[in-house]
Amino acid sequence: MKPHPLIEQLDKQAREKEGVFFAHIANRLGRDRITEKPVQPVRGVPDFWREYNLGEQERIELFMRNWESLGGTAKRFATKEEIAAFIDELAHGMSAKQIIRAKHGLLEEMKVDEKLSDLDMTIWEKDSPADLLAKAAGADIGITVVDFAVAHTGSVVVTSSPEKGRSLSLLPTIFIAIVPAGVIKTKMGEVMREVTKWNQNGMPAGIHFISGPSRSADIENDLTIGVHGPGIVYALVLDEK
Amino acid sequence: MKVSLFITCLSDAIYPRVGQAMARLLHHYGIELHFPEVQTCCGQPAFNSGYWDTARESARTIIDAFEDSDFVIAPSGSCVSMIHHHYETLFVDEPIYLKKAKDLIAKSYEFTQFLVKVLGITDLGAHFPHKVTYHPSCHGTRLLGVKDEPYQLLEKVEGLEFVPLPYAEDCCGFGGTFAVKLSDISGAMVTEKAEHVLETQAEVLVGLDMGCLMNIGGRLQHAGKPIRVMHLAELLYEGVSKQS
Amino acid sequence: MSGFNPTSTLEERARVALNDEFLRNAVKYTTEKLRTNKKSATDELGNWEDWRDRGRMIRLHTIAHLDYYLSLFVENVRKAGGYVHFAKDTKEAVDITMKIMEAKKAKSVVKSKSMVSEEVHINHALEENDIEVVETDLGEYIIQLAGETPSHIIIPAIHKNKQQVADLFSAEAGETLPPVTKTLAGFARSKLREKFLEADIGMTGCNFAIAESGSMVLFSNEGNARMVSTVPKTQITFMGMERIIPSFEDLEVMASLLPRAATGQKLTVYMSAINGPKRSEDSDGPEEMHIIILDNGRSQQLGDPEFQEVLNCIRCGACLNACPVYRHVGGHTYGWVYSGPIGAVLTPVLNLDNREQWGEVANASTLCGACHEACPVKIPLHDMLVYIRRRNVEEGIVKKAEQLGMKGFQIVASNHRLFRSVLRFGKVAQLPLVKNGMISSKLGPLKAWNSFRHAPALAPQSFRDSWSELDQELKQTKNELPADIKQRMEEIVAKRGKQR
Repeated sequence: MKPHPLIEQLDKQAREKEGVFFAHIANRLGRDRITEKPVQPVRGVPDFWREYNLGEQERIELFMRNWESLGGTAKRFATKEEIAAFIDELAHGMSAKQIIRAKHGLLEEMKVDEKLSDLDMTIWEKDSPADLLAKAAGADIGITVVDFAVAHTGSVVVTSSPEKGRSLSLLPTIFIAIVPAGVIKTKMGEVMREVTKWNQNGMPAGIHFISGPSRSADIENDLTIGVHGPGIVYALVLDEK
Repeated sequence: MKVSLFITCLSDAIYPRVGQAMARLLHHYGIELHFPEVQTCCGQPAFNSGYWDTARESARTIIDAFEDSDFVIAPSGSCVSMIHHHYETLFVDEPIYLKKAKDLIAKSYEFTQFLVKVLGITDLGAHFPHKVTYHPSCHGTRLLGVKDEPYQLLEKVEGLEFVPLPYAEDCCGFGGTFAVKLSDISGAMVTEKAEHVLETQAEVLVGLDMGCLMNIGGRLQHAGKPIRVMHLAELLYEGVSKQS
Repeated sequence: MSGFNPTSTLEERARVALNDEFLRNAVKYTTEKLRTNKKSATDELGNWEDWRDRGRMIRLHTIAHLDYYLSLFVENVRKAGGYVHFAKDTKEAVDITMKIMEAKKAKSVVKSKSMVSEEVHINHALEENDIEVVETDLGEYIIQLAGETPSHIIIPAIHKNKQQVADLFSAEAGETLPPVTKTLAGFARSKLREKFLEADIGMTGCNFAIAESGSMVLFSNEGNARMVSTVPKTQITFMGMERIIPSFEDLEVMASLLPRAATGQKLTVYMSAINGPKRSEDSDGPEEMHIIILDNGRSQQLGDPEFQEVLNCIRCGACLNACPVYRHVGGHTYGWVYSGPIGAVLTPVLNLDNREQWGEVANASTLCGACHEACPVKIPLHDMLVYIRRRNVEEGIVKKAEQLGMKGFQIVASNHRLFRSVLRFGKVAQLPLVKNGMISSKLGPLKAWNSFRHAPALAPQSFRDSWSELDQELKQTKNELPADIKQRMEEIVAKRGKQR
């Protein structure tokens, strides 16, 4: 789509202006412009932190503990069937009406849709006829499979794609994150390293680290849960590959 | 070996008893003291207010005073931190004074720092049977790094009951000319500090900087509270002399 | 623009704050809580000093090579399909924003927290052009309804109580809402949900910008920054030109420092890296993304050895929470956008054209150094405050009485003979005022001090006048310096000699 002429004009102005802008910075710094990549004296975390690595069981346990301490619910399941049964029970137990989920092999294998066939289920997929954003906004539950999780911070990491909108983890009242045990890392840096690898081949538009339910303490320091994002968040860890 | 007293203007003009106590205590350990009288003020009030030319002339008297000293001891962490932290900046364009400033930095100590770190003394054999609290002054602790020394000394004073000061690390609101320039804020700060001192129910407030103690003590007096406010050197000297 | 050229002085603003009992209690309570949280979070992480050093080094390096990293960032944003604009001041930033509004025929804007947009005063400009703008951070929403400015970098409505919030929200709701946090937050959620879904433009700030990937990173707890960058079709991001870090690896350091220093969290609930507009097949996310990079006085700090480091700031607010002055007066006393120690530095240095007005803000500190100690990237704010004061003196924007006083001080303090004479004269001259060794009069210059305290009198005999007697007395008893101490002292002196 061709941009609006005003935007084109602004872009042109910016491209004309940037030389002066950067030259001014270099000038203030008392030197010519640097165009070669400078050597970073340090990059990333201290060495002792790089060496911090937990075993798989510890990673899973720490992740779950931290997620819970942030106000989320963490459960661990041996099989896909068990997760599907849990979601079934949860959705029906709370009389959910609308569900939205990512299009993901794992969710299909779980057969979640069969269990929830009596509910209004939307699948986030390319060329969906539905207004996905509106669907997500109206959904009681959003379900997605996370790309990574971080034990040390109790975070799940979701990236955006045509099969996995950002809204899934943001607009519904309840967010269910399916966390394959194998994607749980000890610390943030391991995710950063993976992300950096994508760098060359183009990144997803959004990378979101989510640590617990939405919260605020802006009114007299009273902790409130679920201000704009989901107030109820589940991390369902799956051992089965 | 020449050990000199950097008395600081406040102790010189208002609290000579602090300098005297310090001198007597050090003398007790056989340290011969000198008082070079060309010293006036470290220049901090002017420096912190932005009057660097003024500060420089005042600082020069300190540098001149201690040129041939081996150790320079002051009853103030703030004044010593002025030397350590700012004298190089002040004399950056004067090579001769810059060199002298660096020498002074290497040999100047706050009183408890000198006692504990140089002399290796923590137990002076003092006896002081009172309830005491301690206010750690900001410049001494944060800029000069004098943190444990006063506690080490207080711990060894016989009969002394130590009560920690709530919010001890919060500034008392003195800040030199700040107390006059923004007197309402300073007043609010010292009022709170004095309240914390009262909460401890201590009989004595002790510290290492007469600026802060003058501020807190003045507030306590204003409020009619009979708490003794002393420099640690005074407390130790009193504790030692009542023994003998 | 209104709110930016206050007719009041620092002292007057402080007096207003000091008379506001609720404000003072609220600020004390909140800053203490944040301080405690920070302490436990940094203890839990361990090696905090190493992390701080790391953060500082990354920031120092980036700022020293800002032209390189900024241009790399710009290149990568464009590769990802985003637009970048450069604004040297607030006027240019407003003009660019308004052009985008015009192109998009925008009628409504939802905003997540951005201190830079406060500098630009963008809400005012939008409203003047009949564009509705809604702040969506709960705290920002409260102060927007109150028509005020933030009084804390991360807790904007720190000075408002529940009843005040209930009154503001009730007026908005058209019905009476009780002063119950859950109800009030619930109202904001549903009200703002409508706004998100209707808005033409989403406006955000930028916590960090990653040069190597062209990502902008947002930290938020409520999720409003995600809403703003997900729902509307067009996103505009305001970014201070110094927000850059080189890589995602460096983000791990910043993400370890920022939330811990700010609120004591290991990580905020949401940390989002946004890499350009939505991909063509994505079904949500902005179709068009604009990043407005603002200078507004920042480049003036580059190359200035005294102030360049202030650009390292990561806007965590830890210095506010540590500051004993902020504790008593809150944020509005500082008068401009940023408050606390960082505000006392940024306000004068980012407003160089208006230094008569803003120079005095640097006086709002006792120089206790708590800010430097609290800063996750170790900015020497307490030193910078003195540099600004020196500049104020050099430029003559100080009170005449103070200049005179300092002149007097210089004459006396540069000559020890004069110094002695003044002490001798003073102790006589003060006599009419002294009672029990104290001075309690509030006459003239004594008022400032004596309104809260008693002043000590000059000693009857100064130390220098008492020295020869004391020296004589001490010399009468000869004490032996213990051998081990003597040896230690000699070693110290010898070692010093070698180091020279």
